[in-house]
Formats: sequence, structure tokens, C-alpha cells
Amino acid sequence: MKLTRTKQYEIPFSVLGLATTPDGAQAYAACMDGSVYAVDTASGRTEVFEKKHTSYASGCVLLPDGKTLISGGYDGTLLWHDVTTRKCTREVKAHTFWSWQLALSPDGKRVASVTGQYLAGGWKYEPAAETEPSVRVYDTASGALLASYPHTPPVLSCAFSPDSRHLAAANMLGEVRVWDVQAQDGKPVSQWTSPDFTSWGSTKSHHYSGGIYGLVFSPDGNALLGCGMGPMVDPMAGNGKMTWQRWDWRSGKRIDQIKDGQHGSGLMETLAFHPDGKHFLMAGRQAQGTWNVAVFSGADGSLVTSLDSKSRLTHARFTADGKNLVTSVIVGPGKVKPGQPWPAMGRVQVYSVEV
Amino acid sequence: MNLRDPHPRCPANEHTLHRRLFLKGLTGGALASTASFTGLFQNPVFAAETKKAQKHCILLWLCGAPSQFETWYPKPGSPGNGPFGSMPTKVPGIHYSSLMPKCASIADKLNLVRSMKTNQPEHALAINLLQRGGPERPGFTRPTLGSSLAQAMGQMDAKLPNFIFLDPIPGGNEFEGFKAGNWAGWLGAEYAPVRLGGDYTQFLNTEGASIPQHDRESRETLRKFLTAKYERDRSSAVARSQNAAFERMKGLSASADLFDVNKLPAKDRERYGPGSFAQHALMSRHLVENGAPFVMVANGMNWDNHVFNHEIHQMLVPELDHVIYNLVTDLEERGLLDSTLVIAMGEFGRSPWMNAARGREHYPTAWSMMMTGCGLKRGVVTGATDVDGVDVIEKPYSEQNLFATIFTALGIDPYAEYDLPGMPTFHRVENKAEPIRDILA
Repeated sequence: MKLTRTKQYEIPFSVLGLATTPDGAQAYAACMDGSVYAVDTASGRTEVFEKKHTSYASGCVLLPDGKTLISGGYDGTLLWHDVTTRKCTREVKAHTFWSWQLALSPDGKRVASVTGQYLAGGWKYEPAAETEPSVRVYDTASGALLASYPHTPPVLSCAFSPDSRHLAAANMLGEVRVWDVQAQDGKPVSQWTSPDFTSWGSTKSHHYSGGIYGLVFSPDGNALLGCGMGPMVDPMAGNGKMTWQRWDWRSGKRIDQIKDGQHGSGLMETLAFHPDGKHFLMAGRQAQGTWNVAVFSGADGSLVTSLDSKSRLTHARFTADGKNLVTSVIVGPGKVKPGQPWPAMGRVQVYSVEV
Repeated sequence: MNLRDPHPRCPANEHTLHRRLFLKGLTGGALASTASFTGLFQNPVFAAETKKAQKHCILLWLCGAPSQFETWYPKPGSPGNGPFGSMPTKVPGIHYSSLMPKCASIADKLNLVRSMKTNQPEHALAINLLQRGGPERPGFTRPTLGSSLAQAMGQMDAKLPNFIFLDPIPGGNEFEGFKAGNWAGWLGAEYAPVRLGGDYTQFLNTEGASIPQHDRESRETLRKFLTAKYERDRSSAVARSQNAAFERMKGLSASADLFDVNKLPAKDRERYGPGSFAQHALMSRHLVENGAPFVMVANGMNWDNHVFNHEIHQMLVPELDHVIYNLVTDLEERGLLDSTLVIAMGEFGRSPWMNAARGREHYPTAWSMMMTGCGLKRGVVTGATDVDGVDVIEKPYSEQNLFATIFTALGIDPYAEYDLPGMPTFHRVENKAEPIRDILA
């Protein structure tokens, strides 16, 4: 497999969330100015949706009919947007703190949002218990709250299973919980903890940091993958091992993980399976190493190909035909001079994919 | 060493009482200069006056450097402001980060300097700069703020150390290096901090438990004999200095309960918060209530958020918010705020822009700090930066301005000269740097 960047478009603000049409012709970028931008990936023409979040827009999902986009923000709000008119059609206050991430069930009926503020809960800054449900699930058609699930905040990532039946959510401490969204009891059907994504700095940063930043179910629905950054003695070096792990989610047992010698260091934020079901991609930021985007074999987890995009990738989505990859990017602005305009800090990129 | 001060105090190694100075000290804020006369403290009237006149300082040392945008100086609308909103405070027109609602409710009791402008972007040098109040001069080690205040405000016969440093964290990268260095500089070891907090406190109790009383007394008699002989034989200022420090430690052991977090009132512990920084901030209040002149509270180097700035500040700032609110409120309720200077600062601020690792970088060019209490007005905000917080546009203040303010607020001459044998003349604050008059009472 080979990835080659074919297009790149500047967005004024850093892009945290991304949705695309199945053919990749349209990309929707959730940005740090609170806005969601529609990007024509052929021409680069950009339009902003009418309604902004009052803090960062952190994620967005496109319903299967392609007509409705739902965005989530650090204002704790979910916004329903009409893709054609760019107008907001519904606003739901989901959380008192951030919506860290959204996930859409493949059948398009449910949208999940995860939240939670990291607050000191103990001498060593163990996270305090949640004060509101950390996971909420809404009906995409009506905006009604369908379910609320408890977790230990902050909950950073979530994903639905391919059959839309199960929802997984993971937090800063590497705790993963999976629920049957059709069950009424609200209890997780499975839960486990991986200590391999979390730091408590012993030379500096004497608190917790890190966690599982991306989740994805395998196409057959039997495995769950999580990504992030390995533990560090000094978390402020940001140089923990680029990490993914794969679990049998029903038992919580780890199946495999990124192989020694095949990783650099840096926070990995996104996972995506290629439509062929045989490969998955992980991307994020490189602190040290040779790549920040890599494709792995779905069969044995070995590295297939990689590239250094020279920037932080926050999300990646393959087109339905598997021939292209659309990514969202954050670029540091560098030093800003007083009174000078800030450079564009977001990018939407398109890569061709040769299998 | 000879310190030329309008309110001169005894040299540290000559514990004599000068009656004229004593009387002057009672009214002039230099009481510490007489406090070495043990007999005076047996007089309850004098002891009460002493306690009343004693000034204190609590330094909340936010090592690593907090972001001004997520604390005292949000910039709504700026691309670099971050995800947290701003909120109005009790001072009309002044907004804090929305992470600081408790402090916002007592903004009329706090003073902000929003235009700190210093020159060291690296931790090791910046910690030195903001702890000592001046840049390094090779070959000469300037005493830290705590050591200077211990010398100027401390009581030689006090049971508690005049400089207490509460920090449960042994590490801290550059701060660890600083901690292992020379805090007191030319003032000598008796003005170095006694470090306690966390595991560092345990020895206070374990020593007492492990050695029987009669054995301890025998050891003490032998130690006194040997060290007095050593001092006589060597005429060593260093030995006297070290012995003074030892005596202080002995008194400290007798006050071990003051350093036991578990003995602090449960309701207070809950109010301040469960984290080690919050618990030690509460302890600092307790120590000041019991007469400690200077307490510095730190927690390693937690604020250096090059990575996950917002993800970590969302936890650290609310803790700081609770700590400052409770500390200031408690001191005021106890009648101690007028005599206690409370300072919250790091060694610099953080950059207006984010890096690709979700972090903010070091930023000495334009940053903010808070101080209130003894010798200061309340509710004043001084200085300003541009719309993005990139540079100071109004009233830039250096570390020397800050130190001149601290000394002035505590009634200590900021420009007193240190005449040291074989060394150039130094001043508490060099260059006659002006204090920040906007906030001085």
C-alpha cells in the first residue's frame, strides 16, 4: 500500500474533527474557532456553517443520507446542521463540560458524545469521579437522549461497532467500557484497563496525562483497537511510544499491539480501517521517528507502509472505494508578532491510496 | 556581612539586644531585629505583641509556569485564547478564565499584575531569576526571596523555621536542580529552607519514635559539646551557621504535628481539595497561624504543559482557584491577611500560540501573576498586553520591580546594601528598581 498526498487546503483554524462524504468529494472540518467548514476536496472551495460553537468544535459526523451534519464542541453542545443550507436545525446541550469526541452508529440512528473534566480526586491527582454521565447517546433523527452511561472522566474517545449494537468509550486512565446500546440496564457488557496509554510523571508532571485518544472496531466487529501514546517518565517531553492495541472486546483480553521496532514516539489520535478490511491506519503527531501516518496489516498488525506528513493529523477517513484518504491537520502557527494576522492553522489533505 | 538598612538588624551570629532598636522595632516593623532575646518571649505581653506584629509571606510557587490565558488574563476572541471562556469578576470590567470562578468572586481582594516582562525563557535561569529577584552574577549567589525574608522577618528563637519549603515532589527536572542548589547564597545556611511536605515530613515523626528519650538527651548533650568545641577551635562562621540550622531542626521536630496533613481539620482539607498542592497550601496557612514568617508551597513542576496544556490546566487551575480562594478568605477571617503577603506565580508565562503537541511554550515576554495581603491594596489590576497577549503594551514590570514591591509591602527596605568581605556591594533589589506602586497600599 502506498499513500501519496495529492491535495492540501488551508483552513483558518486548527481542525479537530472531520467528516466526509463516502466519495470524499466533501469534507467537513470542525475547528478551534468553533466553526464547522465545508470543504470541496476537488476545488478547495470552503464554506462555513452558520452556527458556531462557543468554544472549540471538536468533532462532526455526517448522517448516511448526506443531508445532516452533527457537530460537537468544547461548549458541551451538539449542533445539527443542514448541509445544503448550512443552517443550524437543532441544538442540544449534552454536557456541562467538553464534548471530547463524537461517534456515529453505522446505521446513522445514534450519535454518541463523551465528556468529563479532569479534576483532582486525590493526593496524586487521581481523576475525581464524574459529576454527570460521561457518555451520552442521542437519537440522530429527533435529538432525544437515548442513553447515559457512567465512566471515569475524562472520557476521550468512543466508537460504535459495525452492527451499531455496541458502543465503546475509553478514558485518560486507559479504561475501556463497552455497552449494548439496546440493553436497558445501562451496564457495560465488558470493561478493562490498559495501563499502556497513561503517564504519571516521576520526574515532572506529577499527575495523570494521556489516555486512549482513538477507538475503532474491526470490520468483523470482534475486535476493538485503541490508540494513543505510551507512558513517559517526563510526559512533557511528549515522546511516549506511538501505540495501538487490539483487544477481544468481549473478554477484554489484548490480542496484539504495535510491534517493537515499528514505531516512533508521539501521540496517536486516530484509527481507520481501510474498506478492504485488511489494513488499518493510525495517525497523529510525531515527536521522534520517521512517520506520523502508518498503515498496518489487519491480519498480524505488522507495519505495511508509513509516511511523515510533517504535521499533526487529528482525523483520517478512507473513501468508500478505498482509493483516497482524507485527513484533518493542525499546524502550529509559530511565533506571532503583535498586531499581525495569525497564519492559517488548519489543513484538509487528500491522499491517493494504492493498494 | 554588613547589611546597611534603615532598620538594621543584628548580624545573624551575634544575638544581642539593643534597647533602642527594640523599641523602634515594636513600632517600625523591624521587630525581628530584636527577637533573639529569649527572655523577652517569657513576657506574655511582649509575646502577644510579637505575634501581632509578625509579618508573613506565603509563596505559591507554580513551577513550570502556568498559562496566563487559562488563569488571570484570558483573551476572548484571540486565536490563541484556548477553549476555556472568560468570566466577569467582582471587579467591574475585569475577567478571569472561567476555570477560576472562586477567585472571580473575591477579585476585589486580589491584585493582578498582567504585564510581567522578564528575559529568561528557560526554566533553570528563570527559576533563579524569579526566586532571587535578579540575574546571576557569576561567582556570587544572591539569596532567594525566602532566604532574604527569613533574614529580614524571621525570629532567631522561633521554634518554626523562618523559611519553610513545602514540596512533596523529589523531582522536577530543572526545579530539581534548583532545589539541590544554594538557596541562601551569601546569607548562610541558617537562612536556607527547611524542606517538608509529603514524604519529607515523615522523618519528623520517625526520628522521635525510633530513639528513646534518654538516648536522645545523651546524644544531644554530646552534640552540643562537640559542636561548641568545634566552633571555638575553628572560629567558624560556617559551623555556627550549621548549628543554628540544627537548632532550628530540633525545634521543628518538637512541632512535628504542624506538618502532619492528617492532623489538619477534615473540613479544611475538603475545602482546599485533595491534591498534594492544595493540602500543603492549607498547611501553609496553618503554619502562618502558628508564626511561620515565610512558607513556600510548590508541587514539583506541574505547570510546564508543553504537551496537553488544556487537558492538564483543566485540572490544575481549578485546584489553584480553590486554594487561593480559601487561603485568602481564611487569612482574612483570622485577621491575618493584613500581615500576610500571598503571592502566586511561576517563573514565566506561556505562549499565546499552541504548538502541535497540544501545548503552550515558555513565554517570559508578557505574563501575569497575583499578589495580595500585607502592604497592598485590594482589587487592583495593573498592566496590560495587546489583544492576543503577545506583548506588554502598558506598564511592563521586571523581576526587580516585583521584588521591590514584595520587600516594600512587607516593610523591608528594598535597596538595603549588602557589604560582603571581598565582594562587590549588592542590594536587596538592584538598580533602584521601582516597586509596582499601583498595588502598594
